[in-house]
Amino acid sequence: MTDHTIDDQLREQLPRLRRFAYWLTRDPAGADDLVQSTLERALSRWNSRRDATALKPWLFAILHRQFLSARRRSRRYATLLERFQATEPAEQPSAEREATAQSALKVLEELPSEQRSLLLWVSVEGLSYQEVAEILEIPIGTVMSRLSRARQALRRSLEGEIRTPTLRVLK
Amino acid sequence: MNTTPSEYEIQAYVDGRLEETRRQAVEFYLAQHPERALEVRAWQRDAQQLRAQLSGVPDIPDNPALDPSRIRARQRERLRMRWAMAAMMLLSIGAGGFGGWQARKWQYATLQPPMADAIQAYRMFAGDGAGHFDFVSQHYGDLRSWMGRHFAGAPSPPDLSAAGFHPVGVRLIATSNGPAAMVLYEDARGDAISFYVRPPSVRGILPLGQRRDGDLVTEYGSANGYDYAFVSRTDPDVLKLLHQAMRSLT
Repeated sequence: MTDHTIDDQLREQLPRLRRFAYWLTRDPAGADDLVQSTLERALSRWNSRRDATALKPWLFAILHRQFLSARRRSRRYATLLERFQATEPAEQPSAEREATAQSALKVLEELPSEQRSLLLWVSVEGLSYQEVAEILEIPIGTVMSRLSRARQALRRSLEGEIRTPTLRVLK
Repeated sequence: MNTTPSEYEIQAYVDGRLEETRRQAVEFYLAQHPERALEVRAWQRDAQQLRAQLSGVPDIPDNPALDPSRIRARQRERLRMRWAMAAMMLLSIGAGGFGGWQARKWQYATLQPPMADAIQAYRMFAGDGAGHFDFVSQHYGDLRSWMGRHFAGAPSPPDLSAAGFHPVGVRLIATSNGPAAMVLYEDARGDAISFYVRPPSVRGILPLGQRRDGDLVTEYGSANGYDYAFVSRTDPDVLKLLHQAMRSLT
């Protein structure tokens, strides 16, 4: 396969990779960084790819791993920051989160990243359960139960959105 | 016929991925279990909604840097640089004793470049706007007391105002040796100098030194139990300034 045809194949996947990265990171710049490192890795590992592996799930698998390791790095940073802020004299109150009208997208954004990935892979990108199992390196049965939980979580949040209680029942 | 569908079958039903006979079996089951049916139908609607809202390309601008051919070209360039470095080392080994010694030094520098994290931090955060700082102040007093609180005994950020550079802010960085801080200075032209402080590495005290990486120059050393480095673009005036600053620290 020539470089040219490889590039064409990757180019074809680019919009969906960017889209997925965007919903995963919720940040356009971060999403593009993620896509870039995914493509770099894909190019340097192209030859180690088993022919049977379809390109799309293979790229999603790389992107997902890159996302996890970037998140580990940023968690380390966040922990560090917290530790420092604990010793900081209080200067300003933490910004109140504004309550905004939320759509399914907003709700999706608030799910844990793995549930978000699952719903995007299965419902939007149309990956097979087997492909998802390979990306996450878990048995297919686990994919199904996690998918079920993700759907329940999405549903619960959407319902919560629709009938937001004005009073909370105190037990 | 009246068996409870498995989790797999329920999910595959939601996604329309069941073959016909099983699909009918699930339909039949759901008809008998209205509560479950309600949930499953809601999942189907949610999935449809996600597809409808997300299957378009999000409104993010085109990014030519992501084109595979561009990424490939950048990778080739990096590889070429590495080969050039290797060739240079071979040449100097061939040039005899002194050359060999020199090559060893280069090799050491390539394998274990001191303060590589300082350079990386400069590349990531210099000229990137104030949004990325953890502490923002242009006053040396505030800056030094903040640094003093978090890096007790560490060399203080020197005053570079004589050369027109003023502090912009501090960014904290997690390193394998513990927390590091990068103080960024800028002058009126927007040129940046960073002052980077971190706990010492296991390799012990860092002797005074300089390294050049492309258009960046790094002056580094150790003081009071910390490693520190200045990173800036190569400029003779700035270098003179940094040498003065280094002297004031040690």
